[in-house]
Amino acid sequence: MEKYNFKRITVVPPYKDLINIVLSKTQRKTPTVVHKHYNIVRIRGFYMRKIKFCQQTFHDKLTAILTEFPTIQDLHPFYCDLMSVLYDRDHYKLALGQLNTARHLVDNVGKDYVRLMKYADTLYRCKQLKKAALGRMVKIMKRQSQNLTYLEEVRQHVSRMPSIDPNTRTILLCGFPNVGKSSFVNKVTRADVEVQPYAFTTKNLYVGHTDFKFNRYQVVDTPGILDHPIEEMNTIEMQAITALTHLRAIVLYVMDLSELCEHTVEEQVRLFQSIKPLFKNKPLMVVCNKTDIMTLDDLTEDKQHLVRDLAEDGIPVLEMSTATEEGVMKVKTEACQRLLNFRVASKLNTKRVQDVANRLFVAFPKKRDDVARPPTIPQSVQHKIEKGTKRRKLERDIEEEQGDDYILDLRKEWDLANPDEKYDKIPEIFLGKNVADYVDPNIDQKLAKLLEEEKLREEAGFYHFPSDDEDEKELEAKLTVIRERRMLKQLEAVDKRNNNRSIMPRSASLASEHRGRKRKREASEGPSEGAATRSVSRAHGKPRSQSRDQSGLRDQKMITKAKKIGRKAQKERNHQAKKGEGDRVILNMMPKHLFSGKRGNGKTDRR
Amino acid sequence: MPQNEHIELFRKRHGRRFDYEERKRKKEARQPHVQSKTAKKLRGLKAKLHNKKRHAEKVQLKKTLKMHEERKTKQKAEDTVPKGVEPAYLLDRQEQTSAKVLSNMIKQKRKEKAGKWDVPLPKVKAMSEAEVFKVIKTGKTKRKAWKRMVTKVTYVGEGFTRKPAKFERFIRPMGLRFKKAHVTHPELKATFNLPIIGVKKNPSSPMYTSLGVITKGTIVEVNISELGLVTQTGKVVWGKYAQVTNHPENDGCINAVLLV
Repeated sequence: MEKYNFKRITVVPPYKDLINIVLSKTQRKTPTVVHKHYNIVRIRGFYMRKIKFCQQTFHDKLTAILTEFPTIQDLHPFYCDLMSVLYDRDHYKLALGQLNTARHLVDNVGKDYVRLMKYADTLYRCKQLKKAALGRMVKIMKRQSQNLTYLEEVRQHVSRMPSIDPNTRTILLCGFPNVGKSSFVNKVTRADVEVQPYAFTTKNLYVGHTDFKFNRYQVVDTPGILDHPIEEMNTIEMQAITALTHLRAIVLYVMDLSELCEHTVEEQVRLFQSIKPLFKNKPLMVVCNKTDIMTLDDLTEDKQHLVRDLAEDGIPVLEMSTATEEGVMKVKTEACQRLLNFRVASKLNTKRVQDVANRLFVAFPKKRDDVARPPTIPQSVQHKIEKGTKRRKLERDIEEEQGDDYILDLRKEWDLANPDEKYDKIPEIFLGKNVADYVDPNIDQKLAKLLEEEKLREEAGFYHFPSDDEDEKELEAKLTVIRERRMLKQLEAVDKRNNNRSIMPRSASLASEHRGRKRKREASEGPSEGAATRSVSRAHGKPRSQSRDQSGLRDQKMITKAKKIGRKAQKERNHQAKKGEGDRVILNMMPKHLFSGKRGNGKTDRR
Repeated sequence: MPQNEHIELFRKRHGRRFDYEERKRKKEARQPHVQSKTAKKLRGLKAKLHNKKRHAEKVQLKKTLKMHEERKTKQKAEDTVPKGVEPAYLLDRQEQTSAKVLSNMIKQKRKEKAGKWDVPLPKVKAMSEAEVFKVIKTGKTKRKAWKRMVTKVTYVGEGFTRKPAKFERFIRPMGLRFKKAHVTHPELKATFNLPIIGVKKNPSSPMYTSLGVITKGTIVEVNISELGLVTQTGKVVWGKYAQVTNHPENDGCINAVLLV
C-alpha cells in the first residue's frame, strides 16, 4: 500500500511562482554587497556564486518534481493504465521529459556563464554576465510554464484518487449505468457514494471497505459501462474497464431486471457476453437488483430464459434489492466467501505452499479403548449443581425491575441491634453537641483498657521518684571531677592551637597594633627595625613603620643615590608603557609588517 | 465528483454558509484598502514589480471601461472603404512575402561596389587597445610584457592551431571563442541561430578584423543556407553579412541583424 500513495507529491509551483522563489532565494542566500574597487577575483567570485546558486536551485527544484512524480512504467499495471486513461500517458511522459531537458539546459547555461565570467575584467561586465545568465535560465523555465501547470493539475487529481490496493481482497462491481452498483456499495460499506436516479452519477472509481470473517475486503465501485467497442469508450467507461482488467477480484455483474435503467434485460445480457473476456480467471457472480419491483420469476418466459442460461454456465445468479436491503447481506457474504475460496485455491497452487505443506504434519490420535472417562466432579459441587443455587437479588436487578422509579436505598442493609431503628432520623446536632463526635461504639472498652494500663504503670513504679542516697552522691562527685578535667583539656588544646598560628605580615600587624596582648609582647621584645628609627620608636613607646625605600640606608646621601638608581631603572619601563616589572604583556604578538609578504634574503625582521 | 473531494461534496449536500455572499462582497469591497496598504509598505525591487503589475492591470481596466462606454454610445457608421481592401477577383492573389524573393544579389553587389555601408548601426564607440587587450607578463621574472590576451569575444576559424608560446603575440582564449550568432532577419522578423563564417570588418581597427574580434557594430559573415534564400538565378545563397547589435562580451551571446 505504501507504494501507491500519491498523496505525498509536493506542490508544483506555477512558472511565475517558481521564478520568484528561485530568484528571491538567490538574492537571500548569496552575499549582496560588492564594490568596484575590490580585487577583480573577488568580484568575479561574487557573481559566479550567484549564477551557480541560481542554477543549482533550479536544478534542485526540477529534480524534486522529477523524482516525486511516479514513472508510469514502474507502477502496477492497474495504476499505469488508469493514469494513461486519466491524464494521457504521452502527455504526462512528455511533460516530465521536457522538464528533464530544461534541467539540462539550465545546467549548461550556468556552466557557460561561469566560464565566461573568468574573462570578465570589470564589475560592470561581471554584472551584465550575471544578469544575462539569470535571464536565460528564467527564459528556459518560462517555456515550461504549461508543463508545470499540467503537472500541478495531475498532482491535485492523483492525490485525491481513492487508494486502491491492487493485490488485496477485492469485490468489483460492474454493469450498465444506473443499475444500483453505488447503492450496493453504500449498503455494504461506509464509502458514501453519491446515488442519483440518472445514468453516470458515478464518474470515477470509488472504494469502500467491508468486513467478513475478520478480514477486510475492499469494494470497488466503477462507473457504468455501455455496450460498445472499446475504441469508442470514453474516459469514464475506460476507468471501469481498467479496473476490470487489472484487479484480482471477484466481479459482481449487476443487472436491473425491472429495466428502470432504460436498458432491457437482453441488452444487459449482451453487455455481459461482450465484456466476458475481462472476467477470465476471476470468480464471477451475477446479481439481479431491484427485486422489490421485479423478481426473476416475474419476468417473461424468454427473458427469464436468458438469465437462467447464465446460471447454467456455472455462474451463480443472486437476487437482491438495495431499496429494501433484501438479499444484500447474502450477496455480500456469498461474494466474500467465493473470493476467499478462490484466493485460497490459487494460493495452494503456488510452489511456496507446497514447500510449507511438505513440512507440515497433522496428528490424529487413535482411540486406545472403549472405556468411558467422564470428568470427575466433587460430591459437594455436584450437590450444588443439582440444587441450583439461586443468586442473591442485587441492587442492579432491582434497578432494572423498577426502571425510572428506582431510588438507591442503602439503609436497608444496615445491621443494627434493633432493626426497627433502621429508618430513624439521625440529627447532626443534639443538645448543642455534634453527634458525630460521640459516635464511638467501643468507647467503654477503650476507657477500661486505659484504666488498666494506668494501674499497671503504678504498680511498676513509674511514678516513684528516688530519694537522696550515699552512693549517688559519691557518683556525682566523681562525675564533676571528670567534667572539669575534660574542660581543662579542651582549653589547653585551644591554647596550643593559637601558638601554632601563621605569622602575620607586617602591614597586618600594624593594623592590629591596638589589640592588647600583642602590644605587650612586642613592647617587651623591643623594636627590631634599623638603628635609624630606634629613638623615634622609643619616644612613642611603640614601633613606627618606615617607608621601605629608606629602610636599610645609612644617611640622606645614600638615600638620594638609591633614588637616582631607581629612577634610572624605571626609565626603560616607562618608555615601553609597562605597569611595572611584572608587566610582561606583548600587545601585538604578530605585527603585520613582519609577517606578511614574501621573504627575501636577509629580510626576517625588516620587511 | 471523485471520492476524496470532501469540500465540494459538503457544499453540494449542505450548501455554503448563510453569510457567504455577504462576506464575499465585503471582502471584495475591502480589497482596494488592502492593496493600498501593501503598496505603501513595499520597498525596493518588490515595489517596482508590484507597481508594474498594478499599472498593467489599471491599463487593462481602463481599456475595458472605454470599450463598454463606446458600446453604449451611438456612433456614426464609417462609410469609407478601409484601405487595403481589394476587389474580390484579386483576393486569392497572395502577397509576395516569402524570403526567396527578398534576396537580391545584384543589390548586394552594387552596395559592395560603392563601398558604402548602409548599416543599422552606423556609429560605433571606438575600442582602444587597452580595452581589448590585456597585457600578459612573461619571462622568469615576469618582466617582459609583449604578450596580449584578447578580452573580447572572438571568432577563430576552423582548423586554427595556436603558434608556439614563444611566437604567439595574441592569445584568443578558448572560453571567448564563439561559433554561432543569433541573426535576425529584419523583414521576416525572425531570428535564427546561424554559424559564423568569418569576421568581415571590425570598425574599430583593421587589426581587430584580422584577429576576429567581435564587438558591437562588427560586420560578420554568417551561413544562411539553413534559411533557404535563393538568388534570382535560382542558386541558394550561402553566406551573407550581418551586423552585431549587442555587446557579446557582456551578454554571453552574439545578436546580429542580417544586412539585406
